[in-house]
Amino acid sequence: MNDGNYGDAAAVERARNGDRDAFRVLVERHASAVFRLAYRMTLNETDAEDMVQETFLRAWSEMRRFDGRASFGTWLHRICANRTVDFLRSRKRWQGPAMPDTDREYDPFRNLASAAPSPEREAQSAQTGAMLEPALAALSEVERAAFTMRHYEGLAIDDVAAALGVQPGAARHSIFRAVRKLRRALEPVGSGLP
Amino acid sequence: MKHLSEEELILVYYEEPDAPAMAQSHLSECAECRAAAGSLARELGFFDEWNAPAKGEDFGRDAWNRLAPALDSGREVGPGWRPVRIWAAMAGFAILLVAVFLAGRLSRPALPPVIAGLSDQARERILAIAVADHLDRVETLLTEISHDDSNAPDVFAADRERAEDLAQEGQLMKQSLALHGETATTGFLDDVDRFLIEAAHTPDRVGEKEIAELRQRIDSGSLLFKVRIVESNLRNEERKL
Ligand SMILES: [Zn+2]
Repeated sequence: MNDGNYGDAAAVERARNGDRDAFRVLVERHASAVFRLAYRMTLNETDAEDMVQETFLRAWSEMRRFDGRASFGTWLHRICANRTVDFLRSRKRWQGPAMPDTDREYDPFRNLASAAPSPEREAQSAQTGAMLEPALAALSEVERAAFTMRHYEGLAIDDVAAALGVQPGAARHSIFRAVRKLRRALEPVGSGLP
Repeated sequence: MKHLSEEELILVYYEEPDAPAMAQSHLSECAECRAAAGSLARELGFFDEWNAPAKGEDFGRDAWNRLAPALDSGREVGPGWRPVRIWAAMAGFAILLVAVFLAGRLSRPALPPVIAGLSDQARERILAIAVADHLDRVETLLTEISHDDSNAPDVFAADRERAEDLAQEGQLMKQSLALHGETATTGFLDDVDRFLIEAAHTPDRVGEKEIAELRQRIDSGSLLFKVRIVESNLRNEERKL
């Protein structure tokens, strides 16, 4: 692999001036990582691939505004998170973050215990992933988006809030609920964890 | 001694600046909270294993091949998903909604029996959902105008169209609400409409100054915040019904 950031800087500079070949280098280099983020938020390969396209299309039209304060990868991921939130919102399932007072009655994970395989923890990570996915799928979209940005992307809660277009309190709350639900989903196997 | 809550432990785990200042010293003294922090870390660590389906070496190249033709034709040509289609579909739904309400009030024989046969409660629920969804779309637009730094003049034209669509949709919502006697929500939608109409009528070559003014209007009247609250209340109502 090439030296990530140094290579980006040169390609970014050329892409900012409309150099398509340079932009191509950036697309090829970052597409997989952008896909991973979009997949975690949508849980759907086709949607995630569409979001990759959306992200780079947007990035191309905004190239001249990229100021280099964040790394190019970080900037792309922010675009991807924003686009994906918009996409999810545009579908009917998006519920928006619940207000703190309405937090009491979220869906218990009825089906999850049966969906989880027996607690053999020598499972390979692919198996572990397969077991975890139902837990993540059972989060609301906003919870999963918030959790993905905080846990996997390492965004601070204030940045998560900005991407979701909500107050930091609401973003924090979505993350709390996501973590609580995910932990509960582990309970059937949790007693056997190391 | 007051122990750390799960929420506080989560903030500590993610090293958030909002984590309570005393958390670290408490953790060093309290075995119980240390154990709780340990199991939180272990369980969250478990989720690190979860990844997207692996993509092959060619994924970047395939992504480029799909993208390249779209770059030529400017930002309007994207992948399958387009917000515009959704606005149009929703306007259709709003019209249906008004029909549903008219059906409830004026029992005209010409109306489809499916609509006429809905119970008051079902109608109320449909209305709550529709208005909440409408506000959700308003919220997205307001958020984009107020936060998204891509809202430069050249990108603003699309927002203006959406504002216009939403203003029309809002009219239908208000008619339905008025039939239902929901005057409080109708009044709130009037405020929202005033903003949408203003946004829809910004000049063709809108400048940074006009956009800044719109943003200020969103902030000063805490419009966005109110939209969220009303939407959230409607969602709660909808769940109860
Ligand atoms: Zn303690």
